[in-house]
Amino acid sequence: MAAFEPVLTKNVGKPEALTLKGYRQLGGYEGLTKALTMEPDAIIDEVKKSGLRGRGGAGFPAGMKWSFIPKGKDKPKYLVCNADESEPGTFKDRLLMENDPHQLIEGCAICCYAVSANTCYIYIRGEYVKSAVILEQALKEAYEAGILGDSVQGSGFKLNMYIHRGAGAYICGEETGMLESLEGKRGQPRVKPPFPAVVGAFGAPTVINNVETLCNVPHILTHGADWFKSIGTDERNTGPKLYAISGHVDRPGTYEYPIGVTFREMLDGAGGMWRGRQLKAFIPGGASAPILKPDQIDIKMDFDTVAKAGSMLGSAAVIVMDETTCMVRSVARLAKFFNHESCGQCTPCREGTNWMELVLKRLEHGEGTESDAQKLLSICKNIGGQSLCALGDAAIGPVKSLVDRFPEEIEQHVRERACPFPQPRYFENGA
Amino acid sequence: MSVHEPASMQPSGPQIRGGGLSDASRAEIDGLRERYPTSEAILLPALHIAQRQWGGWLPDEAIAAVAAELDLPVAKVYGVVTFYDLFHQSPVGRHRIRVCNNLSCQLRGAEEILEVLHQELGVGEDEVTPDGRCSFVHFECLGSCDTAPMMMVDDDYHESLTPNRVRQILKRLR
Amino acid sequence: MPKVTINDRTVEVEAGTNVIDAGLKAGVLVPHYCYHPRLSVVGQCRMCLVEISDGGKKMPKLQTACSSYVMKDGWSVRTDTPEVAEAQKGMMEFFLINHPLDCPICDQAGECGLQDYSFKHGVAYSRFQYEDKRTYPGRERIPLGANVVLNMNRCIQCTRCIRFTEEIAGTGELGFFNRGARVEIGTFPGRELNNPLATCVVDICPVGALTSTRFRFAERVWYLDKKPSICTGCEVGCNITMEQRRGDIKRYKPRFNVEVNDYWMCDYGRASFERYKQQPRLSSPRLAATNTGWSQALDAVHSRIAGAAGGEIAFLGSGFLTTEEAYLFGKLADLAGSQNRSVPVDLGTEWTIPRHQRPPIKGREAAPNRRGAELAGLGGGHDLLDGDAAARCAVLVVCDSDFGKAAWDPETVARLRKAKFLVVFGWADSPLAQAADVALPVAHHGEKDGTFVNVEWRVQRFEKAFPPTGQVRPAVEVLSDLLSRFDAAWAHQSASTVFDRLAGELPAFAGLSWRRLPATGASLHVPEAHPKVSDQAAEAASEATA
Repeated sequence: MAAFEPVLTKNVGKPEALTLKGYRQLGGYEGLTKALTMEPDAIIDEVKKSGLRGRGGAGFPAGMKWSFIPKGKDKPKYLVCNADESEPGTFKDRLLMENDPHQLIEGCAICCYAVSANTCYIYIRGEYVKSAVILEQALKEAYEAGILGDSVQGSGFKLNMYIHRGAGAYICGEETGMLESLEGKRGQPRVKPPFPAVVGAFGAPTVINNVETLCNVPHILTHGADWFKSIGTDERNTGPKLYAISGHVDRPGTYEYPIGVTFREMLDGAGGMWRGRQLKAFIPGGASAPILKPDQIDIKMDFDTVAKAGSMLGSAAVIVMDETTCMVRSVARLAKFFNHESCGQCTPCREGTNWMELVLKRLEHGEGTESDAQKLLSICKNIGGQSLCALGDAAIGPVKSLVDRFPEEIEQHVRERACPFPQPRYFENGA
Repeated sequence: MSVHEPASMQPSGPQIRGGGLSDASRAEIDGLRERYPTSEAILLPALHIAQRQWGGWLPDEAIAAVAAELDLPVAKVYGVVTFYDLFHQSPVGRHRIRVCNNLSCQLRGAEEILEVLHQELGVGEDEVTPDGRCSFVHFECLGSCDTAPMMMVDDDYHESLTPNRVRQILKRLR
Repeated sequence: MPKVTINDRTVEVEAGTNVIDAGLKAGVLVPHYCYHPRLSVVGQCRMCLVEISDGGKKMPKLQTACSSYVMKDGWSVRTDTPEVAEAQKGMMEFFLINHPLDCPICDQAGECGLQDYSFKHGVAYSRFQYEDKRTYPGRERIPLGANVVLNMNRCIQCTRCIRFTEEIAGTGELGFFNRGARVEIGTFPGRELNNPLATCVVDICPVGALTSTRFRFAERVWYLDKKPSICTGCEVGCNITMEQRRGDIKRYKPRFNVEVNDYWMCDYGRASFERYKQQPRLSSPRLAATNTGWSQALDAVHSRIAGAAGGEIAFLGSGFLTTEEAYLFGKLADLAGSQNRSVPVDLGTEWTIPRHQRPPIKGREAAPNRRGAELAGLGGGHDLLDGDAAARCAVLVVCDSDFGKAAWDPETVARLRKAKFLVVFGWADSPLAQAADVALPVAHHGEKDGTFVNVEWRVQRFEKAFPPTGQVRPAVEVLSDLLSRFDAAWAHQSASTVFDRLAGELPAFAGLSWRRLPATGASLHVPEAHPKVSDQAAEAASEATA
């Protein structure tokens, strides 16, 4: 396969990209300049044509989302950039914000122009202080250069862009949870419908897009939808993709590939298994994604292929586990995460995630019973499709895959009345 | 009490005016008002500002002060404070340490990092060292899984930790 | 208006009606906790999941009925499929795994949402066997204010109480704190839940998490006899259910009336039945400080009235009289030749009850029927509480010893006692009754039938909840006996015959009859109201006290 030129990460490692001047020298803001010569609808069509799907986890077509914004002028429109990145295993957005902040600003600006949104909030998780500082600096430069403000690059289009810091809640990465948090409330997701495109921030039509999704937009405008479509697997899985790989690999990090790279290729690109160990399991798309086994090592990491294999690409956060890993302990930790992050509004998630954590903790500590596996599946069935938001569905992903794909590990825990995998020690002599 | 006495209609409890917020905090909050169409939306930034003023945590008086400043019911503001992990309602050390032990970090030794902190600081999770210097907690994914294990000290990330590196970092904290 | 079919029953509803309300119209109860017709829809409890098909095509997931709105024809809803039953079972299990088995000590038993739906939709065993229930240590009996106690262990986090304080009471004392499984309701430390409608949160709480301080451990609800009645705390006349056991009133609960108090009532009204227990009852007629029988007592009153000049006989009415009693007192005054009659205006705190899509109803007079009493025949006279007015009376009939706050004031009692012959009707053996020459024990409003006219000129009927004890009789019967001594035609009257009679005589009540009075009451024809009766009396009184 032809050598792939990075698109989203092309400026990573180039410190000049952090300044407006340097960013421009690297070709930046060409996309915005071009966009301002186009009709907003034409921009939306181009993004639709490109096949860009949301990079935050849901994979919803971005152009289609933009087209849902009503055209009327009676209400203001908003863009909220989802920089809440809290899905375990995900760190790609942080890389983009800390190394190429103007790329994000440009993408946001183009989107705002396309949907006639005069205000954009970049909702950054509260823990990402460095990203917020770097972005604030870049915004300041953008205002000073007339890229933001009363007339974007002299076009007459008014655009204000602000950073809104979160305060530590994964559920604020959910669209309507984020809107609630933006409005100064508890980040509790709303009943849908109405959807944000109709009633979003402050009651007005709102687009919510992930950082990586928006960072693709300048490139689509600069190089065209056809170019974008030429990268990837097929017309439903297009464009470059950032994969954040962590766990038991030799060189964890963010790697950019055309979407649909195989897991094997990605694993090799990250230096292969850590300490020469054996692959036992991997999560293809963040904590919510059902766990896959080594027989899927050649799976194409795009939205549709991974879905067909019984998992999800999600945020493309790839977590690799070797043979020393206890699957029960790992899933118990994820269950603890979902229990901690549940907002507590709806009954199945509030009670169900709590229950699942307790059962898995028991199993891990050797206090499991034979009925636990079926009980876990039953709890998953009562949560799935019946919770108020997708966190409930996310929480059951790893648990279901544990019971379905690693039943013998559960049985072993129950039989031996202890965890058969001793907790590995990673540091010698406390070094 | 005669049967004809009406029930009290005055709210009870301490009446706290916005006097608790410093002028600097107030000015910073005022500077944000133009960014949002509602006063309520300033709440999260205002709480960050207030928490900084009160040394890293939000006592009840700080919460009441912010509520008064933004003209919001204090129960609502309390609900917001208790919802988010970065707002603390009990005193913290001068340096707040958060160690991620979610899956990717757990796979690379996060539990041992927590042990080291426990040993070196001599306190348990969510407790403040007697000299007021440090407190530490485990935390959910901080978005630095490629440099696991890692921790956050105040606003900074410290990545690719080893027990010795942790000890060095602790030594530098005053 | 769109049509919707629910379990094969088709109804027509206004566009925008949700499936729960449509179901109620169709006679199908969709189980729900967090939904309440007067509160914002949050879709949290997930108990109302139903199957909805649009134009024959089933929606892929079960939908919450509370947030599914019928906007057009073509929806078919089912609550009786195996999938829905599984969902309901699953939700009930989730509700119960962390719920304490408190039924034996919980007030809510017998009227508990968890008990009811558990029986209907749940399973009879628990799978939560090896784990510990989540508890809120130290939050098992927290007074949230003077009138409400919280047991956080029992809470199902439906947030009705929080939404009530925000949206209906407008005071926002309650909030939702923490996150996830630790989420809890409460007030900001140091603050209290003490708005005038506070106890309404106990009504709307589906479980025993919120209980009324007054009613805690007072009675098992299945022992309570429940009778629709009217609150006598003020002139709003909130519709209530009077809940009592063997004549001991245990609780008032608001009764839905969209015209008057909607679903609500205030805490002051809720406590107003306590007054009946705080005073000794007048249990026997008394003549010259000696207990006697009804015949002797009424004979004495009859002869004194007959023997006095009309201009020297006065009738002090009360806002607590029923319309029928006031009418009969008016007739007695007519027969006695007296024009000297008045109903004092007793002002108290102004209570405000919010209503749906209309202004709230407010009541400042601390009695339920000053308007009815004046309309029916006691209005338009001189203020009998002034100065020496009583001293000039040969006979002063105090129609109700509980005519207002002033009735308990020793100075007022002394002034009224200056009448040469003092007749007092009352339920309490008050200082005024003790000072009387004749004291006549009559029923309070739980023990009799009657009507009250509220602040908006709405006449509302109530019937007795339990019989009076001892020699206590309803005043209508007593007055019928007394009047028949003047004119035999007045014998054997009851509240219903008296109402029908006054409806025929007074233009304001034209066309009404006791039997056909609607359950929600009826608006009186106010322009035809007695010309001397108006709210000017109330305004004058309020200026006097200002």
